[in-house]
Amino acid sequence: MTIDMSQFYEVFFDESDELLAVAERLLLDVNIENPDSEDLNAIFRAAHSIKGGAATFGFMDMTEITHVLENLLDRIRKNEMKLTAEHVDAFLTAKDVLKMMVDGHRLATDVNLEQVADVKMMLKSLSENGDVTPKTTSAVVAIKPELEPEPEIVILSDNNTPIADGLKRFNISFINCSEKDLTNLQSELELLGSVILGQATDKKPYLLLDTESDQDDILSICSFVLEPEDLVITLLDPTLEATIVAPAKTQVAQSLVSNSVVTEPVADSIKDEKPKTEKVKVEEEVGYGLFAEEGEENVEEGYGFFAPFKPHPDAQVLQLIGDDNASAALEDKKAEDAKVVTETITPTTMQPAAKRESPTSNASSETTSIRVGIEKVDQLINLVGELVITQAMIEQRISTLDPAHHEPLINSVGQLTRNTRDLQEAVMSIRMMPMDFVFSRFPRMVRDLAAKLNKKVEFVTNGATTELDKGLIERIVDPLTHLVRNSVDHGIETPEQRKKSGKNETGRLTLSAAHKGGSIVIEVTDDGAGLNRSKLLAKAKSSGLNVGESMTDTEVYQLIFAPGFSTAEVVTDVSGRGVGMDVVKRNIAAMGGVVEIRSVLGYGTTVSIALPLTLAILDGMSVSLGRSLYVIPLGLIVETMQPTMNDIKTVTGKGLMVSVRGEYLPIIPLYALFNQDTEIMHPTEGVLVILEAEGKKAALFVDGLVGQQQVVIKSLETNFKKVNGVSGATIMGDGSVALIIDVPAIIKMGQLNTEGAMQ
Amino acid sequence: MSAIAEQSNQESNTTGANSNEYLTFVLGEESYGIEILKVQEIRGYDAVTKIANTPSFIKGVVNLRGLIVPIVDLRIKFHLGKVEYNELTVVIILNLGGRVVGMVVDGVSDVMNLQSNQIRTVPEIVSSIDTKYITGLATVDEKMFILVDIEQLMNSQEMELIDAI
Repeated sequence: MTIDMSQFYEVFFDESDELLAVAERLLLDVNIENPDSEDLNAIFRAAHSIKGGAATFGFMDMTEITHVLENLLDRIRKNEMKLTAEHVDAFLTAKDVLKMMVDGHRLATDVNLEQVADVKMMLKSLSENGDVTPKTTSAVVAIKPELEPEPEIVILSDNNTPIADGLKRFNISFINCSEKDLTNLQSELELLGSVILGQATDKKPYLLLDTESDQDDILSICSFVLEPEDLVITLLDPTLEATIVAPAKTQVAQSLVSNSVVTEPVADSIKDEKPKTEKVKVEEEVGYGLFAEEGEENVEEGYGFFAPFKPHPDAQVLQLIGDDNASAALEDKKAEDAKVVTETITPTTMQPAAKRESPTSNASSETTSIRVGIEKVDQLINLVGELVITQAMIEQRISTLDPAHHEPLINSVGQLTRNTRDLQEAVMSIRMMPMDFVFSRFPRMVRDLAAKLNKKVEFVTNGATTELDKGLIERIVDPLTHLVRNSVDHGIETPEQRKKSGKNETGRLTLSAAHKGGSIVIEVTDDGAGLNRSKLLAKAKSSGLNVGESMTDTEVYQLIFAPGFSTAEVVTDVSGRGVGMDVVKRNIAAMGGVVEIRSVLGYGTTVSIALPLTLAILDGMSVSLGRSLYVIPLGLIVETMQPTMNDIKTVTGKGLMVSVRGEYLPIIPLYALFNQDTEIMHPTEGVLVILEAEGKKAALFVDGLVGQQQVVIKSLETNFKKVNGVSGATIMGDGSVALIIDVPAIIKMGQLNTEGAMQ
Repeated sequence: MSAIAEQSNQESNTTGANSNEYLTFVLGEESYGIEILKVQEIRGYDAVTKIANTPSFIKGVVNLRGLIVPIVDLRIKFHLGKVEYNELTVVIILNLGGRVVGMVVDGVSDVMNLQSNQIRTVPEIVSSIDTKYITGLATVDEKMFILVDIEQLMNSQEMELIDAI
C-alpha cells in the first residue's frame, strides 16, 4: 500500500513557513558579539526540522541547502566558530532562498537556481574557512537527535578473533576530524570501554578502544559526532600496541575509578560489566544536572578526563540504581535533544550553561496549537451566529409568557442566553490573531531597506499582542508594508541630514497597534522630515486639484492619497509618501477602515489606520422604512436629527437640502431611492441620518430609528447578485432579513437622483 | 434527502437505461416538471424582504437557516394564472450547482419516474418560456407535463438572478 504523501505537503509548507519566520526573527535579534546559545540552538533546530521534512517529502533541493546551513550553524553553536555579521547575512539569504523554494514547491513559482547555488557556495565556504583553533582543554559533547544512515564499514584488519579476556581492541582513525570532534568522540566511546588517544606518525590522531562491543556499536556511537565516512575502524591485536597503551590506560582507568568511587583494578573495571554501567549513569546524571540545575558544581566536573576531578556525589546512589544499559541511557539523551556543553578549564564555562533556561518550556509552547482549515472555523462562526439568532427568537417568544407560570422555562432560557453569548465570544476569538504576525515581517524589511539606502533606522513595535481578525490581518499586510517602506524611504532622512538638523543620526520608526473603542488603531510613526504643507499645496495646484490655502492640515495631508498625485517629483521634494498611497487608502477603505495623517514639519509623521475589529460583525443602526428594516453601519453615521420646516431648503423647488449648523447637506430620501412604499413622505415627519463617507456628507431620510445592534454580515452575492446601494444582508432577531446599506454607494446614488430631479 | 434521491436514481438506473425522476408542480393551469436532483427542499411561502430596484418577479430574499436566498415568482415572470399568496402557496428551494434559489409555485403535485421514450420533443410554438429551456413534453395518464431545464433557466440573463458577465 502506498501513502499519498502530497496530502501532507501543505502541513510541511506551513510548518516550513513558520520555522523560517522564527529563524528570521531570531537571526535579527541575535547579538553577534555574544550570541545566546539558546537562540543559536533554536535556529539550528528550525533548519534541522526543515531538512528532515524536506527529505521526507523528497524535496532534495531544500535538503541540500538546509544541510549546509545546518553544518555551519552546528559549528557555530558548538563554539567552533565565532558568529559574525557575515554569517547572519548568509543565514538570512539562505532563509530567503528556502522561502523561495517552499513557494516554488507550493505555488509553482519560479525558483532562481543561480541564487540557490550562490547561497550554497557561500555557506560552504563560510563553514570551511571559519576554523578556530580548537582548545585542547575543552570538552564539548553534542548529542544530535538524528542518526546518520548506516554506513559501510571499512575493515582493514583480520577477522574478529576474540582476545583472551573477552575484549576486542579497535583502532579508530580519522580521515577528517577536528580536535573538538575527537574529544567528543572520546567521551562517547567511553560508554563502551576504555579509550586511549594517540597520534600516528603522520600526525593524524587515532583512538584505541578496548571493548566487548562490536563494530556496529562503535559506529553508531561515532555517528553522533562524525559522519561515518570520515572514520576507519580497525580491529587490532592488542599486544602490538602495548607500549603506548600502558601509561595512558592507567590514567583513564583512574578517572573511571574515582568517578564511580569503586576501587578496583584497572583490568577488572574494563572487564566487568557493572562499573561500565555506572559510568554511563554518572555521565547521564552529569548531563541532566547541567540541563536542570545549571550552575551547580557538577557542571565543572565534565567527564573527569583532563581536569582534576572530585568524586561525584551522586555516584554511589547511582551505583545502587544503575542497571540500565548504555543504549537506553543514550536513547534518553536523544529524546531530550540535549546538548551538553562543558568546558573544564575555560573560565567562561558558566555562561553557556546559565543561559539554558527552560528550553523545554519553549518546546512545549510550540505544540499547544493545532492547525485547522479556515473554512472550518468560518463554518463554526456561522453556526454560532445562527445559534445566537435562534436563541434571540426563543427569548422573544417567551417574553410574552407569564413569568409566574413559566419561571423554570424563563430561567433556563436566561441560562441559555449567557451560554450562547460566551460561546459566541469564544468562537469569535478563534479568528483573532496577534498583530505580531504582521509586525514580525517588518524588522527584516526595515533592516534591508535601511542598509540599501544608507540610513540608520531603529525599528520599534508596540502592542504586538493586540488581536485582530485573521481576515483583516492578511489584508493589512500590503498597506502596512507600503507605509513602512515609505517611512524609511522618504520619511527618515539620511544620517548627515539628521545630524545637520540636530537630530539623532539613527531614525526611529515605530509600528504600534492598540484597541480604541470598537476599532483597532495601527500607527506607523517616523521621526523624519514630516510633510511640507506648502509644497503639497503647490503640487496639488499644479496638477489641477481644487485646493486653497484655507484647507486644514488634515485635508492637505489627505491630498497625498489622491490618485496620480504621487509623482517622483513630489516624492523627492516633499520627502514624502506618494507612490501608491491611493492604493493604500482604497485597500483600507475596503476593509471598512479609515486612514489619517498627522505630521509636523521637521519632526516626523504618523499615519494612523483605524480598522473595525472584525469583518464578520458590524455595529449597526437599524432604521425603518415602510414595513422593512435597514441597517446602517454605525461608524459612518455622524448624527441623527428630526428637522423642522425651517431647516429644510429647496433648490429650484426640487432638490431638498437640510441646514445643519450652517452647513447645507443634500437630503436623500431612501423610499425614493429604493422605490419603497411608506406613509412618511416629508423629512419633518421622519428622521434624517447624517452620513459621512469618502469625505462626502449627506442626510438620509428614513421613517424612524429602531435601535442600535451588532449584526452578522451575510453576503447577498452568494445566491444572488450585487444590488446597488446594498452592501449585504443580515438576519434580525425575529429571523427576518434586513439589508445593510452601502453608504458610499447611497451617497453617489443620491447625487445622481437629485441631478435627475433637477433636470 | 439527497441520499434518497441518489438511491432512487440508482434504482432507476437499474430499471431503465434512460429514466429520470421529476418533481412536478403546477403554475396556473399548467403542470411542469423539473429534475428532482436539483431540488433541495420544499417550504411554505414566508414573508420576504424586498430588494430595491429589482424586477417584480424577484420577490426578495428570505433567511433559510442563515443563508440569504432570493425568491422568484415564476407566475409573475411568465404571466401564468392569478398571483396570490395563501397557505397553499409553496416555495421550491433549488440547489443549482451550489447556488440556492427559491421559486414560488401554486402547488407541488408528485414525483414521477419518466423513461426517455415517454418524453416528446417540443414543437416550435410561441410560449412565454423560451423553448430552449424546455427539454421536452411528457404525457402521463392523459396529462401533459412541461419539462424545464431549471438550472439553465435560473442562470439565464433574463431571470436577472446573477450579475451580468
